[in-house]
Amino acid sequence: MKMVIGGAFQGKLKWAKERYPGVEWLDGRTCRPEEIFSCRGICSFHEYIRRLLVREGGKEAASKLAGDLISRNPEIIIITDEIGCGLVPIDPFDRMYRETVGRICTKLAGFSVRVDRIIMGVGAAIKETEE
Amino acid sequence: MFYLVTGGSGSGKSAYAEELILRLRAGCGDGDLYYIATMDPVGGETMRKIEAHRRMRAGKGFQTIECRTGLAECAREHCRKGSFALVECLSNLTANELYREDGAKEGTHDAILRGMEALLSVCRTVVAVTNDVSRELPGDSREMLRFQRVFGQINASMARMADCVTEVVYGIPVEVKG
Repeated sequence: MKMVIGGAFQGKLKWAKERYPGVEWLDGRTCRPEEIFSCRGICSFHEYIRRLLVREGGKEAASKLAGDLISRNPEIIIITDEIGCGLVPIDPFDRMYRETVGRICTKLAGFSVRVDRIIMGVGAAIKETEE
Repeated sequence: MFYLVTGGSGSGKSAYAEELILRLRAGCGDGDLYYIATMDPVGGETMRKIEAHRRMRAGKGFQTIECRTGLAECAREHCRKGSFALVECLSNLTANELYREDGAKEGTHDAILRGMEALLSVCRTVVAVTNDVSRELPGDSREMLRFQRVFGQINASMARMADCVTEVVYGIPVEVKG
């Protein structure tokens, strides 16, 4: 598993396309829930989580997502926005959403062999292990 | 030594800070170990958060010191020389000082700065957890803007005092100041 993270509109997908050529990127904003377990890469992963959370039983599905991904699609490349660095949202759902993304990504980053953080299109590896 | 730990929501900064203080204390042999809790227990969500943090540090030898406001007095009254303190977290402390009846209000920045100085004068090691609320516009809310400004200034002052500043990104420590 690998992750590409950073703020919104920092060129994460473009960077990932150069770094990982040939990968077809699933879009977390539009894909079907099951597709994440068979794709090679997903972008807008935070949006995938938000869409999961608004569904019936979404909280439970979200709590299992990291574990499920690790067991069912351990080679996936995940692109996500870091959404946890703003003011604490007034809306309770937004607070829960943002913390859930953090918890899931923390678990996935722990499993990942490589995590790159993209700032203004420039990537920096914050985690790199022997592949 | 003063270690400042920052990070976004759900980033694993608390777990990192806790491991850090336990490791530092283990390396020194002994000394009291304090958890300085700043969160005001109001509302179900906050109570659940407090509970989750309590569970996380249960059985690890922490003495919990409740400190809503007045970190300096708290340090002088409760902390022993040569001890280890984990402060969690500076954003709650800032909100308490700004908004609580017994808070420092306009003097929030200075109160927290003096508080940290007092804590550092008695403790051997302090690890303080803070967070980053700066990467977003506060919208039309003057209050949000004020909080962002005061808290940003406090974080900058803390980082200046700190020997080491680490941002925790999804559980990964990224060095800000070595």
